[in-house]
Amino acid sequence: MNISLVRIDDRLIHGQILEAWLPFIKASCIVVADDNVANDFFRKSVIRMAVPSDIEVIVNSIEEFIENCSHYEKEGKKTIVLFYDICNALKAYNFGFKFEKLNIGSVQSEKNRKFYSPAVYLCKDDIENLRFLVESGVEVELRCIPRDKPLNFRDVAKKAGLT
Amino acid sequence: MVGVLIITHGNLGYELIQSAELIKGRMDGVLAISVDPTKGVEELKKEISSSIKKVNKGKGVLILTDLFGGTPSNLSLSFLKEGKLEVISGVNLPMLLKLPDIREKDLADFAYSVKDYGMKNISLASEILNKKIGKK
Repeated sequence: MNISLVRIDDRLIHGQILEAWLPFIKASCIVVADDNVANDFFRKSVIRMAVPSDIEVIVNSIEEFIENCSHYEKEGKKTIVLFYDICNALKAYNFGFKFEKLNIGSVQSEKNRKFYSPAVYLCKDDIENLRFLVESGVEVELRCIPRDKPLNFRDVAKKAGLT
Repeated sequence: MVGVLIITHGNLGYELIQSAELIKGRMDGVLAISVDPTKGVEELKKEISSSIKKVNKGKGVLILTDLFGGTPSNLSLSFLKEGKLEVISGVNLPMLLKLPDIREKDLADFAYSVKDYGMKNISLASEILNKKIGKK
């Protein structure tokens, strides 16, 4: 597996990715796997303009991403993969994108949400989906930027009385 | 008068206004919004939208953001409307100090002047010195 970071972030590419994660990982490629952005010419253009020109940017719909992910993994480039929400990441996982580690950056589920960290509010479905991933062997951490101490989802869930 | 919104990571926008007012006096029609990880994207969009309405006096709105590609800038760009709303990234104090002098310009002119002034006021001291004494 050559993908360096698989992350859930409802802001997709933003300051934390460009100024913190990109230099930390020394990634040379960012993949945004998101249907809304893939269908939005303006947002795609802004993303391309925001990312330094020596970094490859790929914007895929979830379906395109599922088709292409084995190719990205084979390419061997240090790559950051961004999903808007847990649902999308789970879909990619179930269709063959078998990541070993999942980073949760910013999730602000709107309905019946519960606080887990200042940038992470999860709803019941999110928890169930994350549990499934953990049971499948994925290590799930909550961490906004590389310098933050990572919180393991299991510990966070235990603290919240979810086990 | 063109309305102005400063949208930044954290409280930078508020502080910029404070600093500008220290030098130039009260800044009318200028509001700041701080973006932090605890606010959701939808919540921020609502806040921006209502602030646009607050500062808009019919002559359009200029949004100043700190970093192109950052959340404040990404969200602002989704409100972009030619002739009605402009966005400049890389906000600095000189830009704010210029605002009161050119407020009556139309939006396009106003935005251009602000950007120009902000860029002109970034300097590297040794470069200026070398120019003055004729070295390259």
